Amino acid sequence: MTLKEVYNGKEVNEVVELLHKYGSRAKVISGGTDVVIALRNEKISPEVLIDISKIDELKKIEDRGDHIVIGGGVTFTQIVESDLFLGNLLGLHKACKMVGSPQIRNMGTIGGNIANGSAAADSVPPLIALDAVVSLLSQNGVRKIGLEAYYHDPIKENELLTEVSFAKPKENEVLTFSKLGLRKALAISRLTLSSFVEFEGGKVKSVRVASGALAKFPMREVEVENYLTGKVLDEESVEVAIEKLKDSMDIRLKGRSTLPYKRVAISTILREALEEAMKFGEEVRA
Amino acid sequence: MKNISLTVNEKVYELTIDENMRLLDILREELGLIGTKEGCSEGECGACTVIMDGHTVNSCMIMGFQADGSNITTIEGLEKDGKLDPVQQAYVEVGAVQCGFCIPGMVLSTKNLLDHNPNPTDEEIREGLSGNLCRCTGYNKMLDATKKARKYREGEE
Repeated sequence: MTLKEVYNGKEVNEVVELLHKYGSRAKVISGGTDVVIALRNEKISPEVLIDISKIDELKKIEDRGDHIVIGGGVTFTQIVESDLFLGNLLGLHKACKMVGSPQIRNMGTIGGNIANGSAAADSVPPLIALDAVVSLLSQNGVRKIGLEAYYHDPIKENELLTEVSFAKPKENEVLTFSKLGLRKALAISRLTLSSFVEFEGGKVKSVRVASGALAKFPMREVEVENYLTGKVLDEESVEVAIEKLKDSMDIRLKGRSTLPYKRVAISTILREALEEAMKFGEEVRA
Repeated sequence: MKNISLTVNEKVYELTIDENMRLLDILREELGLIGTKEGCSEGECGACTVIMDGHTVNSCMIMGFQADGSNITTIEGLEKDGKLDPVQQAYVEVGAVQCGFCIPGMVLSTKNLLDHNPNPTDEEIREGLSGNLCRCTGYNKMLDATKKARKYREGEE
Protein backbone atom coordinates (compact mmCIF):
# COMPACT_ATOMS: atom_id res chain seq x y z
CA MET A 1 0.00 0.00 0.00
CA THR A 2 1.25 3.43 -0.87
CA LEU A 3 -1.18 5.88 0.64
CA LYS A 4 0.09 9.42 0.86
CA GLU A 5 -2.91 11.17 2.29
CA VAL A 6 -5.99 10.06 4.23
CA TYR A 7 -9.07 12.06 5.17
CA ASN A 8 -11.72 11.50 7.80
CA GLY A 9 -14.75 12.87 5.96
CA LYS A 10 -17.12 14.85 8.15
CA GLU A 11 -19.60 16.11 5.56
CA VAL A 12 -20.79 15.03 2.14
CA ASN A 13 -19.85 18.30 0.44
CA GLU A 14 -16.31 18.10 1.76
CA VAL A 15 -15.96 14.57 0.32
CA VAL A 16 -17.26 15.69 -3.07
CA GLU A 17 -14.72 18.54 -3.12
CA LEU A 18 -11.91 16.11 -2.31
CA LEU A 19 -13.06 13.74 -5.06
CA HIS A 20 -13.08 16.64 -7.50
CA LYS A 21 -9.60 17.67 -6.43
CA TYR A 22 -7.94 14.23 -6.51
CA GLY A 23 -9.95 12.43 -9.23
CA SER A 24 -8.59 8.99 -10.01
CA ARG A 25 -5.88 9.34 -7.37
CA ALA A 26 -8.50 9.03 -4.62
CA LYS A 27 -10.73 6.23 -3.38
CA VAL A 28 -13.64 6.36 -0.97
CA ILE A 29 -13.68 3.90 1.92
CA SER A 30 -16.54 3.12 4.28
CA GLY A 31 -16.91 -0.34 5.85
CA GLY A 32 -13.61 -1.38 4.27
CA THR A 33 -14.72 -4.98 3.77
CA ASP A 34 -13.89 -4.82 0.06
CA VAL A 35 -11.54 -1.83 -0.15
CA VAL A 36 -8.97 -2.92 2.44
CA ILE A 37 -8.60 -6.33 0.78
CA ALA A 38 -8.26 -4.69 -2.65
CA LEU A 39 -5.60 -2.32 -1.28
CA ARG A 40 -3.59 -5.14 0.21
CA ASN A 41 -3.82 -7.26 -2.93
CA GLU A 42 -2.83 -4.18 -4.91
CA LYS A 43 -5.93 -4.44 -7.06
CA ILE A 44 -6.30 -0.74 -6.38
CA SER A 45 -3.51 1.65 -5.46
CA PRO A 46 -4.89 5.08 -4.66
CA GLU A 47 -2.70 7.81 -3.18
CA VAL A 48 -5.59 9.25 -1.24
CA LEU A 49 -8.19 7.48 0.86
CA ILE A 50 -11.33 9.29 2.04
CA ASP A 51 -13.26 7.72 4.91
CA ILE A 52 -17.03 8.29 4.88
CA SER A 53 -17.95 5.83 7.65
CA LYS A 54 -18.56 8.55 10.21
CA ILE A 55 -20.71 10.91 8.15
CA ASP A 56 -24.10 10.94 9.89
CA GLU A 57 -26.11 12.14 6.90
CA LEU A 58 -25.09 9.00 4.98
CA LYS A 59 -26.17 6.71 7.80
CA LYS A 60 -29.89 7.46 7.88
CA ILE A 61 -32.84 5.30 6.88
CA GLU A 62 -35.81 7.58 6.23
CA ASP A 63 -39.48 6.81 5.77
CA ARG A 64 -40.76 9.66 3.61
CA GLY A 65 -44.35 8.48 3.41
CA ASP A 66 -44.55 7.03 -0.08
CA HIS A 67 -40.77 6.50 -0.37
CA ILE A 68 -38.00 4.93 1.65
CA VAL A 69 -34.54 6.45 1.42
CA ILE A 70 -31.47 4.51 2.54
CA GLY A 71 -28.22 6.45 2.98
CA GLY A 72 -25.16 5.10 1.18
CA GLY A 73 -23.39 4.55 4.51
CA VAL A 74 -26.18 2.50 6.09
CA THR A 75 -24.81 -0.84 7.27
CA PHE A 76 -26.45 -4.22 6.71
CA THR A 77 -26.92 -4.45 10.49
CA GLN A 78 -28.89 -1.19 10.44
CA ILE A 79 -31.21 -2.65 7.78
CA VAL A 80 -31.62 -5.90 9.71
CA GLU A 81 -32.41 -4.04 12.94
CA SER A 82 -34.82 -1.57 11.30
CA ASP A 83 -38.54 -2.29 11.60
CA LEU A 84 -39.16 -0.72 8.18
CA PHE A 85 -38.06 -3.85 6.35
CA LEU A 86 -40.55 -6.36 7.65
CA GLY A 87 -43.88 -7.51 6.23
CA ASN A 88 -43.97 -6.99 2.46
CA LEU A 89 -40.39 -5.64 2.49
CA LEU A 90 -38.97 -8.68 4.28
CA GLY A 91 -37.03 -9.62 1.14
CA LEU A 92 -34.52 -6.83 1.77
CA HIS A 93 -34.18 -7.74 5.44
CA LYS A 94 -33.52 -11.36 4.45
CA ALA A 95 -30.90 -10.41 1.87
CA CYS A 96 -29.01 -8.19 4.29
CA LYS A 97 -29.20 -10.75 7.08
CA MET A 98 -27.49 -13.32 4.87
CA VAL A 99 -24.49 -11.09 4.11
CA GLY A 100 -21.16 -12.50 5.36
CA SER A 101 -21.07 -12.57 9.15
CA PRO A 102 -22.08 -10.29 12.05
CA GLN A 103 -18.73 -8.48 11.79
CA ILE A 104 -19.12 -7.91 8.03
CA ARG A 105 -22.73 -6.74 8.44
CA ASN A 106 -21.65 -4.30 11.15
CA MET A 107 -19.21 -2.63 8.75
CA GLY A 108 -20.40 -3.30 5.19
CA THR A 109 -22.78 -0.77 3.66
CA ILE A 110 -25.54 -0.65 1.07
CA GLY A 111 -23.59 2.02 -0.85
CA GLY A 112 -20.47 -0.14 -0.86
CA ASN A 113 -22.39 -3.18 -2.02
CA ILE A 114 -23.49 -1.19 -5.07
CA ALA A 115 -20.36 0.88 -5.73
CA ASN A 116 -18.05 -2.12 -5.52
CA GLY A 117 -19.94 -3.58 -8.48
CA SER A 118 -19.87 -7.24 -7.50
CA ALA A 119 -22.16 -9.54 -9.47
CA ALA A 120 -22.88 -11.37 -6.21
CA ALA A 121 -23.84 -8.35 -4.09
CA ASP A 122 -26.63 -9.66 -1.85
CA SER A 123 -28.58 -6.44 -1.34
CA VAL A 124 -28.71 -5.50 -5.02
CA PRO A 125 -31.28 -7.93 -6.54
CA PRO A 126 -33.97 -6.94 -4.00
CA LEU A 127 -33.20 -3.26 -4.62
CA ILE A 128 -33.44 -3.81 -8.39
CA ALA A 129 -36.71 -5.67 -7.90
CA LEU A 130 -37.92 -2.62 -5.95
CA ASP A 131 -36.94 -0.47 -8.95
CA ALA A 132 -34.64 1.54 -6.67
CA VAL A 133 -32.94 4.73 -7.80
CA VAL A 134 -29.34 5.58 -6.88
CA SER A 135 -28.22 9.16 -6.18
CA LEU A 136 -24.65 10.05 -7.17
CA LEU A 137 -23.40 13.41 -5.98
CA SER A 138 -20.58 15.34 -7.60
CA GLN A 139 -19.61 18.98 -7.99
CA ASN A 140 -21.88 18.99 -11.05
CA GLY A 141 -24.90 18.16 -8.90
CA VAL A 142 -26.89 14.99 -8.29
CA ARG A 143 -27.13 12.27 -10.92
CA LYS A 144 -30.09 9.94 -10.34
CA ILE A 145 -30.13 6.61 -12.12
CA GLY A 146 -32.15 3.40 -11.84
CA LEU A 147 -30.15 0.66 -10.14
CA GLU A 148 -30.27 -1.78 -13.05
CA ALA A 149 -29.16 0.92 -15.50
CA TYR A 150 -26.48 1.97 -13.00
CA TYR A 151 -24.45 -1.12 -13.83
CA HIS A 152 -24.09 0.09 -17.40
CA ASP A 153 -23.20 3.62 -16.33
CA PRO A 154 -21.59 3.17 -12.91
CA ILE A 155 -20.16 5.58 -10.39
CA LYS A 156 -17.49 7.94 -11.72
CA GLU A 157 -14.31 8.91 -9.92
CA ASN A 158 -15.73 12.31 -8.91
CA GLU A 159 -19.02 10.92 -7.61
CA LEU A 160 -20.20 9.84 -4.17
CA LEU A 161 -23.09 7.41 -3.77
CA THR A 162 -25.26 9.26 -1.24
CA GLU A 163 -28.53 7.33 -1.21
CA VAL A 164 -30.79 4.65 -2.65
CA SER A 165 -34.53 5.22 -2.71
CA PHE A 166 -37.61 3.30 -3.75
CA ALA A 167 -41.40 3.54 -3.57
CA LYS A 168 -42.91 1.87 -0.54
CA PRO A 169 -44.81 -1.25 -1.58
CA LYS A 170 -48.60 -1.12 -1.37
CA GLU A 171 -50.73 -3.66 0.47
CA ASN A 172 -51.03 -5.85 -2.63
CA GLU A 173 -47.29 -5.85 -3.36
CA VAL A 174 -44.52 -7.99 -1.91
CA LEU A 175 -40.73 -8.33 -2.12
CA THR A 176 -39.13 -11.77 -1.71
CA PHE A 177 -35.55 -13.04 -1.68
CA SER A 178 -33.78 -16.37 -1.97
CA LYS A 179 -30.07 -17.17 -1.90
CA LEU A 180 -27.84 -20.13 -2.56
CA GLY A 181 -24.48 -19.97 -0.80
CA LEU A 182 -22.01 -22.76 -0.22
CA ARG A 183 -22.77 -22.66 3.49
CA LYS A 184 -24.79 -20.56 5.90
CA ALA A 185 -22.26 -17.99 7.10
CA LEU A 186 -19.40 -16.24 5.32
CA ALA A 187 -20.54 -17.44 1.92
CA ILE A 188 -20.32 -15.46 -1.27
CA SER A 189 -23.60 -15.90 -3.10
CA ARG A 190 -23.61 -18.46 -5.87
CA LEU A 191 -27.10 -17.46 -6.90
CA THR A 192 -29.64 -15.00 -5.63
CA LEU A 193 -33.11 -14.11 -6.77
CA SER A 194 -35.55 -11.48 -5.69
CA SER A 195 -39.09 -10.96 -6.89
CA PHE A 196 -41.45 -8.02 -6.50
CA VAL A 197 -45.02 -8.95 -7.27
CA GLU A 198 -48.14 -6.81 -7.52
CA PHE A 199 -51.32 -8.87 -7.16
CA GLU A 200 -54.77 -7.97 -8.42
CA GLY A 201 -57.86 -10.18 -8.51
CA GLY A 202 -55.79 -13.27 -7.74
CA LYS A 203 -53.44 -12.67 -10.65
CA VAL A 204 -50.02 -11.14 -11.12
CA LYS A 205 -50.69 -7.60 -12.28
CA SER A 206 -47.03 -6.70 -12.58
CA VAL A 207 -43.77 -8.34 -11.55
CA ARG A 208 -40.06 -7.62 -11.42
CA VAL A 209 -37.60 -10.47 -11.01
CA ALA A 210 -33.93 -9.68 -10.38
CA SER A 211 -31.05 -12.14 -10.25
CA GLY A 212 -27.59 -11.95 -8.72
CA ALA A 213 -24.49 -13.90 -9.80
CA LEU A 214 -26.22 -15.06 -12.99
CA ALA A 215 -24.46 -12.53 -15.22
CA LYS A 216 -21.71 -9.95 -15.12
CA PHE A 217 -24.04 -7.77 -13.05
CA PRO A 218 -27.24 -8.26 -11.10
CA MET A 219 -30.09 -7.81 -13.58
CA ARG A 220 -33.81 -8.07 -14.34
CA GLU A 221 -35.03 -11.36 -15.78
CA VAL A 222 -37.36 -9.98 -18.41
CA GLU A 223 -38.38 -13.31 -19.97
CA VAL A 224 -39.62 -14.53 -16.60
CA GLU A 225 -41.40 -11.25 -15.93
CA ASN A 226 -43.14 -11.27 -19.31
CA TYR A 227 -44.34 -14.80 -18.82
CA LEU A 228 -45.67 -14.27 -15.28
CA THR A 229 -47.51 -11.02 -15.98
CA GLY A 230 -51.28 -11.64 -15.98
CA LYS A 231 -50.90 -15.25 -14.79
CA VAL A 232 -52.18 -16.84 -11.64
CA LEU A 233 -49.10 -17.57 -9.52
CA ASP A 234 -49.36 -21.30 -8.81
CA GLU A 235 -47.16 -24.40 -8.95
CA GLU A 236 -47.71 -24.76 -12.66
CA SER A 237 -46.81 -21.19 -13.65
CA VAL A 238 -43.79 -21.25 -11.32
CA GLU A 239 -42.46 -24.36 -13.11
CA VAL A 240 -42.85 -22.67 -16.50
CA ALA A 241 -41.14 -19.54 -15.13
CA ILE A 242 -38.20 -21.71 -14.05
CA GLU A 243 -37.94 -23.12 -17.60
CA LYS A 244 -38.00 -19.56 -19.01
CA LEU A 245 -35.14 -18.57 -16.73
CA LYS A 246 -33.14 -21.67 -17.70
CA ASP A 247 -33.60 -20.76 -21.37
CA SER A 248 -32.24 -17.25 -20.70
CA MET A 249 -29.31 -18.71 -18.79
CA ASP A 250 -28.48 -21.13 -21.61
CA ILE A 251 -27.94 -18.18 -23.91
CA ARG A 252 -26.23 -15.91 -21.41
CA LEU A 253 -23.89 -18.42 -19.77
CA LYS A 254 -23.16 -20.51 -22.87
CA GLY A 255 -19.84 -22.30 -22.56
CA ARG A 256 -19.36 -21.42 -18.88
CA SER A 257 -18.28 -24.31 -16.68
CA THR A 258 -20.78 -23.26 -14.02
CA LEU A 259 -23.80 -23.42 -16.34
CA PRO A 260 -24.87 -27.05 -15.73
CA TYR A 261 -24.70 -26.51 -11.96
CA LYS A 262 -26.48 -23.18 -11.97
CA ARG A 263 -29.16 -24.54 -14.31
CA VAL A 264 -30.13 -27.15 -11.73
CA ALA A 265 -29.67 -24.93 -8.68
CA ILE A 266 -31.75 -22.08 -10.06
CA SER A 267 -34.94 -24.17 -9.90
CA THR A 268 -34.92 -24.26 -6.11
CA ILE A 269 -33.96 -20.61 -5.74
CA LEU A 270 -36.59 -19.23 -8.11
CA ARG A 271 -39.22 -21.61 -6.75
CA GLU A 272 -38.45 -20.45 -3.21
CA ALA A 273 -38.67 -16.76 -4.13
CA LEU A 274 -41.92 -17.17 -6.06
CA GLU A 275 -43.56 -19.49 -3.54
CA GLU A 276 -43.00 -16.85 -0.90
CA ALA A 277 -44.83 -14.38 -3.14
CA MET A 278 -47.52 -16.97 -3.80
CA LYS A 279 -48.17 -17.35 -0.07
CA PHE A 280 -48.45 -13.58 0.28
CA GLY A 281 -50.83 -13.44 -2.69
CA GLU A 282 -53.11 -16.00 -1.05
CA GLU A 283 -53.14 -13.99 2.17
CA VAL A 284 -54.00 -10.81 0.27
CA ARG A 285 -56.99 -12.56 -1.32
CA ALA A 286 -58.17 -14.12 1.93
CA MET B 1 1.84 10.28 8.95
CA LYS B 2 -1.53 10.94 10.51
CA ASN B 3 -2.53 11.95 14.03
CA ILE B 4 -5.42 10.07 15.54
CA SER B 5 -7.02 9.77 18.93
CA LEU B 6 -8.77 6.62 20.05
CA THR B 7 -9.92 4.97 23.24
CA VAL B 8 -8.83 1.38 23.75
CA ASN B 9 -9.96 -0.52 26.83
CA GLU B 10 -11.02 2.74 28.47
CA LYS B 11 -7.61 4.36 27.95
CA VAL B 12 -7.21 7.32 25.57
CA TYR B 13 -4.32 7.17 23.10
CA GLU B 14 -3.01 10.02 20.93
CA LEU B 15 -1.04 8.39 18.15
CA THR B 16 0.85 9.36 15.02
CA ILE B 17 0.37 6.51 12.59
CA ASP B 18 1.47 5.42 9.14
CA GLU B 19 -1.50 5.91 6.77
CA ASN B 20 -1.13 2.35 5.53
CA MET B 21 -1.72 0.72 8.91
CA ARG B 22 -4.89 -1.17 9.65
CA LEU B 23 -6.57 -1.02 13.05
CA LEU B 24 -5.17 -4.51 13.67
CA ASP B 25 -1.61 -3.25 13.08
CA ILE B 26 -2.12 -0.36 15.48
CA LEU B 27 -3.45 -2.61 18.21
CA ARG B 28 -0.69 -5.19 17.88
CA GLU B 29 2.33 -3.15 16.85
CA GLU B 30 1.77 0.30 18.33
CA LEU B 31 -0.10 -0.62 21.49
CA GLY B 32 1.35 -4.09 22.07
CA LEU B 33 -2.12 -5.60 22.46
CA ILE B 34 -1.25 -8.92 20.86
CA GLY B 35 -4.34 -10.72 22.13
CA THR B 36 -5.99 -9.64 18.89
CA LYS B 37 -4.82 -12.18 16.28
CA GLU B 38 -4.29 -11.99 12.55
CA GLY B 39 -5.64 -15.04 10.77
CA CYS B 40 -6.88 -14.85 7.20
CA SER B 41 -6.52 -11.06 6.72
CA GLU B 42 -9.70 -10.94 4.66
CA GLY B 43 -12.65 -11.04 7.00
CA GLU B 44 -13.35 -14.75 6.89
CA CYS B 45 -11.95 -16.06 10.17
CA GLY B 46 -12.78 -13.46 12.80
CA ALA B 47 -9.53 -13.95 14.77
CA CYS B 48 -8.97 -10.17 14.65
CA THR B 49 -12.43 -9.33 16.04
CA VAL B 50 -12.64 -6.36 18.41
CA ILE B 51 -15.62 -4.36 19.65
CA MET B 52 -15.71 -0.90 18.11
CA ASP B 53 -18.35 1.60 19.23
CA GLY B 54 -20.58 -1.20 20.47
CA HIS B 55 -20.31 -3.55 17.49
CA THR B 56 -17.94 -6.39 16.63
CA VAL B 57 -15.71 -5.66 13.64
CA ASN B 58 -12.83 -7.37 11.86
CA SER B 59 -9.87 -5.14 12.72
CA CYS B 60 -8.02 -6.42 9.64
CA MET B 61 -10.54 -4.66 7.40
CA ILE B 62 -10.51 -1.23 8.99
CA MET B 63 -7.82 1.28 8.21
CA GLY B 64 -6.22 2.72 11.33
CA PHE B 65 -7.17 6.30 10.52
CA GLN B 66 -10.83 5.27 10.27
CA ALA B 67 -10.77 4.40 13.97
CA ASP B 68 -10.04 8.03 14.87
CA GLY B 69 -12.45 9.00 17.66
CA SER B 70 -13.65 5.43 18.21
CA ASN B 71 -14.02 3.46 21.40
CA ILE B 72 -12.49 0.01 21.17
CA THR B 73 -12.51 -3.03 23.42
CA THR B 74 -9.97 -5.81 22.89
CA ILE B 75 -9.64 -9.09 24.77
CA GLU B 76 -7.18 -7.39 27.16
CA GLY B 77 -9.96 -5.05 28.28
CA LEU B 78 -12.35 -7.71 29.59
CA GLU B 79 -10.63 -8.67 32.83
CA LYS B 80 -11.47 -6.16 35.59
CA ASP B 81 -9.46 -5.90 38.84
CA GLY B 82 -8.00 -9.34 38.39
CA LYS B 83 -11.43 -10.86 37.79
CA LEU B 84 -12.29 -12.52 34.50
CA ASP B 85 -15.31 -11.36 32.53
CA PRO B 86 -18.23 -13.81 32.90
CA VAL B 87 -17.73 -14.87 29.29
CA GLN B 88 -14.04 -15.64 29.87
CA GLN B 89 -14.92 -17.48 33.09
CA ALA B 90 -17.49 -19.59 31.27
CA TYR B 91 -15.10 -20.45 28.42
CA VAL B 92 -12.49 -21.64 30.94
CA GLU B 93 -14.93 -23.71 32.98
CA VAL B 94 -16.62 -25.34 30.01
CA GLY B 95 -13.29 -26.07 28.36
CA ALA B 96 -14.28 -24.24 25.17
CA VAL B 97 -10.62 -23.52 24.42
CA GLN B 98 -8.17 -25.78 22.64
CA CYS B 99 -5.30 -24.11 20.76
CA GLY B 100 -6.66 -20.69 21.70
CA PHE B 101 -5.97 -18.77 18.50
CA CYS B 102 -9.62 -18.02 17.74
CA ILE B 103 -10.58 -17.43 21.37
CA PRO B 104 -10.01 -13.67 21.77
CA GLY B 105 -12.31 -13.02 18.80
CA MET B 106 -14.75 -15.74 19.82
CA VAL B 107 -15.01 -14.37 23.38
CA LEU B 108 -15.57 -10.81 22.13
CA SER B 109 -18.28 -11.98 19.71
CA THR B 110 -19.93 -13.86 22.60
CA LYS B 111 -19.79 -10.80 24.84
CA ASN B 112 -21.15 -8.51 22.13
CA LEU B 113 -23.95 -10.96 21.34
CA LEU B 114 -25.01 -11.02 25.01
CA ASP B 115 -24.70 -7.22 25.25
CA HIS B 116 -27.20 -6.84 22.40
CA ASN B 117 -29.32 -9.90 23.11
CA PRO B 118 -29.06 -11.01 26.78
CA ASN B 119 -31.17 -14.11 26.29
CA PRO B 120 -30.33 -15.63 22.88
CA THR B 121 -31.72 -18.90 21.55
CA ASP B 122 -29.31 -21.64 20.41
CA GLU B 123 -29.90 -20.56 16.84
CA GLU B 124 -29.13 -16.94 17.70
CA ILE B 125 -25.94 -17.97 19.50
CA ARG B 126 -24.75 -19.96 16.46
CA GLU B 127 -25.62 -17.02 14.23
CA GLY B 128 -23.90 -14.57 16.60
CA LEU B 129 -20.67 -16.61 16.53
CA SER B 130 -20.85 -17.43 12.81
CA GLY B 131 -18.15 -14.87 11.95
CA ASN B 132 -15.54 -16.66 14.06
CA LEU B 133 -13.97 -19.82 12.75
CA CYS B 134 -12.40 -22.43 15.03
CA ARG B 135 -10.40 -25.29 13.56
CA CYS B 136 -10.06 -27.28 16.80
CA THR B 137 -13.51 -27.74 18.24
CA GLY B 138 -16.94 -28.50 16.89
CA TYR B 139 -18.35 -25.21 18.22
CA ASN B 140 -20.65 -26.99 20.70
CA LYS B 141 -18.43 -26.03 23.62
CA MET B 142 -18.70 -22.38 22.65
CA LEU B 143 -22.46 -22.76 22.58
CA ASP B 144 -22.34 -24.26 26.08
CA ALA B 145 -19.97 -21.54 27.28
CA THR B 146 -22.28 -18.82 25.95
CA LYS B 147 -25.21 -20.32 27.82
CA LYS B 148 -23.16 -20.51 30.99
CA ALA B 149 -22.00 -16.91 30.56
CA ARG B 150 -25.61 -15.87 30.12
CA LYS B 151 -26.42 -17.37 33.53
CA TYR B 152 -23.42 -15.68 35.17
CA ARG B 153 -24.43 -12.33 33.71
CA GLU B 154 -28.02 -12.73 34.89
CA GLY B 155 -26.67 -13.38 38.39
CA GLU B 156 -24.60 -10.22 38.21
CA GLU B 157 -27.47 -7.97 37.31
